[in-house]
Amino acid sequence: MQKTKEHHAIQGEFKNHFLKLKLLLGIWTGKTLITITRLLGRGGTTLPGRLALKIAPHIPSCLSGLLPEGCLIVTGTNGKTTTSALITGILKEAGYSCVHNQSGSNMSWGVVSALIAAASWRGHIFEDFAVLEVDEGAFPQVAQNVKPRGIIITNIFRDQLDRYGEVDQIRDNIIKGMDLQPEYGFEVLNADDPSLVSIEKRSGKKRLSYGLEFNPGADTFKNTGRDIKTCPLCSAKLDYKRIFYAHLGHYHCPDCGYKRQEPDVKLTECITNPDNTANLQIALPGEAIKTNFPLMGTYNLYNLLAAVTCAKALNISGTDITAALEKSIPSFGRMELFKLNSKTIVIALIKNPVGANEVLRTILNEADRISLLITINDKIADGTDVSWLWDVDFEQLSAARDKLTGITVSGLRAWDMAVRFKYSGFDPAQIRVEENAARAVERAIEDTPNGGKLFILPTYTAMLEIRRILNKKGLGKPYWEE
Amino acid sequence: MAKIRICHLYPAHLNLYGDRGNMLALCRRAQWHNIDLEVTPIEPGESINFAQCDLLFMGGGQDSDQKLVAADLKKRQAELHKAVEEGMAIFAVCGSYQLLGHYYTASSGEKISGLEIVDLYTEAGPKRLIGNAVVKCSLWDPPRTLVGFENHAGKTYLGPSLQPLGEVLIGYGNNGTDKKEGAVYKNVIGTYLHGSLLPKNPWLTDKILEKALSYRNQVFKPARLDDSIEQIAHDSVIKLATSKRHKKLSSRV
Repeated sequence: MQKTKEHHAIQGEFKNHFLKLKLLLGIWTGKTLITITRLLGRGGTTLPGRLALKIAPHIPSCLSGLLPEGCLIVTGTNGKTTTSALITGILKEAGYSCVHNQSGSNMSWGVVSALIAAASWRGHIFEDFAVLEVDEGAFPQVAQNVKPRGIIITNIFRDQLDRYGEVDQIRDNIIKGMDLQPEYGFEVLNADDPSLVSIEKRSGKKRLSYGLEFNPGADTFKNTGRDIKTCPLCSAKLDYKRIFYAHLGHYHCPDCGYKRQEPDVKLTECITNPDNTANLQIALPGEAIKTNFPLMGTYNLYNLLAAVTCAKALNISGTDITAALEKSIPSFGRMELFKLNSKTIVIALIKNPVGANEVLRTILNEADRISLLITINDKIADGTDVSWLWDVDFEQLSAARDKLTGITVSGLRAWDMAVRFKYSGFDPAQIRVEENAARAVERAIEDTPNGGKLFILPTYTAMLEIRRILNKKGLGKPYWEE
Repeated sequence: MAKIRICHLYPAHLNLYGDRGNMLALCRRAQWHNIDLEVTPIEPGESINFAQCDLLFMGGGQDSDQKLVAADLKKRQAELHKAVEEGMAIFAVCGSYQLLGHYYTASSGEKISGLEIVDLYTEAGPKRLIGNAVVKCSLWDPPRTLVGFENHAGKTYLGPSLQPLGEVLIGYGNNGTDKKEGAVYKNVIGTYLHGSLLPKNPWLTDKILEKALSYRNQVFKPARLDDSIEQIAHDSVIKLATSKRHKKLSSRV
């Protein structure tokens, strides 16, 4: 008997050593590959993580376990990157250090790459928090691995159907991930999204919600993807008192009485200034804060509220929150600005109908004439099915065609986009098709009037390519140096 | 002036994979061919006036929406049958295509009965059939290709005398085994292909307009249109679907 026990102990210790060795081997491989890919001018957010996970699948759980303040996961269809950047900004203002996958590489391997990049060669992590934006599909897996202290869910819209399946499936997946959170955790939900707040809260968990409370203008966009039209409880058609965009708003069900609950954190006032910043008033439990917020668009107001609510759950002071918000800059490829002599280049990622419509809305609000480049790829990270282009309201753009000094389409599916423009009412002769991205960027810059703006609307992998092209022209820094 | 009246079935519920693109293609090309087009959106619970309908358009839907539609249409099954037999045109994509048959067995085992307009049935398979697809379609002589994107768990099997829309060159088609894609019965066309399907296959759009016109004894007099952009987009999908990149894409999903 005695011998067997000893034997087991030795075996256990041996196993521990073996696991530790595998962990280090995984981290070393990952770190080496990150260095090499960056030397080659790439971000190193996919391959290193993938390979490291193959060697040591327990890397994410081990590394995240070393963070004294734990992990925060931001998931949902739109707004993950900006929300997690805002949370990171607030945490840093409050004196914490953070690991953050800021480039938007949000599959399980992207998360692992970020953790490995932050870890030392001896397998330690010295940051306080990890703020991880996580793809809805990868969410359950990542939640299981990193045991998140906080889960922040932005919204659910129709997104790449080839990868996620239908909207109902995305919601099921999110619920699966939420169930894997430890009981001491907290969750932050968008009260204006009827499909989210209807998710049952598990006992013991802390839940905070947020929503808009000011009076929005009328929505002129058609087919803005009101994907959740029916009551999540009884399937009757929902009525709305206010709609902010898509299906986000103040809803109630005429049949079963299900309705929006008053959120814990509310945006009560929003006044837009001529410089596109907004003066905001936010009501939190027990305090009210005022801030001047520099990011354009209603969707960014939701991102801001999600971040503020998360900060509130972590007991961060209103002063730190306000200070951080006023410093916020657009995230990676989200209305990101570059200056080229007198011209301004704006990169705005598009990846699904609702997000793309919000980008078009912002473009149409520009006072001056602009040049436009749309780059559509169909790789895995973009979504291999380009049907969604037909659900975007490009008709709004063709109705305002005098505003455009030039239109170029590019990318692997450039011709699909050209056809889309033709059927939205453009004269095909107005559309320049240039499949090569570098040449397309050059031509689109030529089309831009001096002192004017060029809007580049790429899908995800096209955005990485276009950023590299701009970096080569001396514009901006590669994202891993930011 | 020739005229077509389209009933667009449940635009808010059946609009899954860029079905708006199919409607847009029908509207634009009708306009370009000088056909007067009248579109009536039908919402659940509203009844279709079959005497005033030349073409019924049904898009794809989520499973939950699909059931709603099935229940609603079942009530009008007899009228629908009569109209189809007389030559009313139907264009149905994905979920709606399945609905045209006898039944659909979901992966849960639940059996949803169909409209029994065409002789086919569908059973959910273990894995979703996803990817770009190219089919050879014999609605023309010589046959023409159709390109689209498919994403369906259901495997559809046609009855012995039912004609498929095309023969699968690349992709899965109805069930991944018998190389058949879609179905054609009288003036009814059902297909799994979206993408959206009609904009990149303008000849199919015209064929559907022609069928809708013939139902009311009107002649399709096509205008001479420049379809070069559509043609290049069509050809580039064929190029993509035959490339190594596509093989890699489909093995990953």
